[in-house]
Amino acid sequence: MSQPPAQVIGMGTVLDHVRTPQEVLRPHVVEFRNVTKTYNAGKADEFTAIRDVTFVVEDVVEKGEFICVLGPSGCGKSTILRSIAGLEPQHPATSGEVLVLGQPVVGPGSDRGMVFQDYTSFDHRTVLENVTFGLECLHMPRKPRDELGREWIHKMGLNVGTDAHKYPHELSGGMRQRVAIARTLILKPRIILMDEPFGALDPLTRLNMQDLLVKLWKEVQATVFFITHSIEEAVFLGDRVYLMSNSPGTILEELKIEPATSSANEMQRQPKFLEAVYYIRDKITKLESNQ
Amino acid sequence: MNSSFLDRLLRNWLTLRKPVSRLQAVGLGVACILLCLTGWWLITHGANESRLVGPLTLPSPAETFSKFSELWNDFALTRNVLVTLRRVSIGFALALMVGIPIGVTAGCFPRVHAFLSPLIMIGRNVPLAAVLPLMIFIFGAGEKNKVMFIFVASVAFVISDAARAIMDVSARYIDTAYTLGASRWQTISKVLVPLAAPTIFSACRQMFGLAFGYIMLAESIKIADEVGGLGYQIQIFQRRGFREHIYLIILVIPMVALVIDQVLAWIQRQLFPHMHGGDGMLRSLVRITLIPWESLKSLVFYRTPVSLSSAATEERLK
Repeated sequence: MSQPPAQVIGMGTVLDHVRTPQEVLRPHVVEFRNVTKTYNAGKADEFTAIRDVTFVVEDVVEKGEFICVLGPSGCGKSTILRSIAGLEPQHPATSGEVLVLGQPVVGPGSDRGMVFQDYTSFDHRTVLENVTFGLECLHMPRKPRDELGREWIHKMGLNVGTDAHKYPHELSGGMRQRVAIARTLILKPRIILMDEPFGALDPLTRLNMQDLLVKLWKEVQATVFFITHSIEEAVFLGDRVYLMSNSPGTILEELKIEPATSSANEMQRQPKFLEAVYYIRDKITKLESNQ
Repeated sequence: MNSSFLDRLLRNWLTLRKPVSRLQAVGLGVACILLCLTGWWLITHGANESRLVGPLTLPSPAETFSKFSELWNDFALTRNVLVTLRRVSIGFALALMVGIPIGVTAGCFPRVHAFLSPLIMIGRNVPLAAVLPLMIFIFGAGEKNKVMFIFVASVAFVISDAARAIMDVSARYIDTAYTLGASRWQTISKVLVPLAAPTIFSACRQMFGLAFGYIMLAESIKIADEVGGLGYQIQIFQRRGFREHIYLIILVIPMVALVIDQVLAWIQRQLFPHMHGGDGMLRSLVRITLIPWESLKSLVFYRTPVSLSSAATEERLK
């Protein structure tokens, strides 16, 4: 295959094509091979969410990659995420293969933790009981479980003494998402799937959460799939950004992004950061006007 | 008359959904009771012939309440209340024990729900007055037919309410539980049932009130070896023409219902602090009693998962 030079735009490098599983030699964390998902096939309300999606995420030594998925609304971003998670009805795919660590996905599991946009804290459980839910499912004894839970509550910037025994309805949106993230990370998943986790938060909380996420992600060394509508968020957080087409979605472009060197608030003022953001924004605006 | 004062008063009292203080709420309730009693007194005062409503239709408040000690002592009010309560409680408890597991199963598995739906539909629409004689045929005279009548009257509602509550739990909680590694059974027992429990409890609390009404029907059918209960007492008083006693019992029943409802409301607050803002005493109690069971399961099932051990992290760093 000929390799025309990749295009450098600010912090980003637009690859000449979306990489396929065949050309990446390092072990693959996630690979999609010509994945299509069609609902109600053959009926009047047939709908294809994603079509012929092929991409590969490699296992980067000592750290996982942070992958952001951007695209116009309704392009099937969530379908990709939920296919990796193995959640119905997105799973199983109509055709093609979804592989995680070389194995086909057969169903959901705690090796692929997921954080949703909607608040999914278990309302009947306190913060500590929410955070330790996964450990409880593993039958971890209460004492080490609660210790680990408190440790994570602290790591998430919540107050162990006052917040651990609160119920989710007593928390703000930002705090609830902290609980949701802690609940996932405590299980040390290989892959973390985040479906617009900060979508419902106010801008300032959002920036704080982005910084926190970067810090914790370095600690847990997992591959992150992050869906967002915010291009700034994607460029700040992502090592790699996938840009999706209109529905039925497929991956149009793959960008490699330089790692961020300072906090979210500061990065977002740098010209090379903005250059990458504007490039992606123009692309998405064009896509949305063609819808 | 100062119109601006009236204006302010009206605006204050007629603001849409304006919360009312506890004292005022009680005061207004008492005012309503007093108003009713006054009305009752007005239409029944004076000599028998000059009353608006004759004493045979409606005795005066004084006449009615004067019979209370007779009802309490000679007609063993407490015992009869307890007999009635016992019947409702046993029948309703049976309905809960059978109905909730079936309802939860139906809510979790739509195929079970589809299979049971004809039975639920019939159970909810069955004419209870027609079921009563059947109960007597099947279970004979005595306690059993009344208990079973309450069971039959409520079980279909318990099943359908429990199923509905489970189905109404948003699918995103199931997705979350699965991605946190919960098994199907753990998702049911740790997520679906606890999240649906407050709804099921509220529904049952309302249904208990209805069941308390149904038992009067069951008790009012006279069979040879009858053994008391409020419904039966009413029947006796009617035959003897004791109007005052009947009115008293009609006043006593809501009181008993109110007490029971308050007890249930207290339980609800202690069980579901996240819904009803109580201090969750009973919830803590439930959790504490489950600790030994949980520890036992940890002993049997727990293996340090590969992903959580430090070896795995080292492996990944290689």
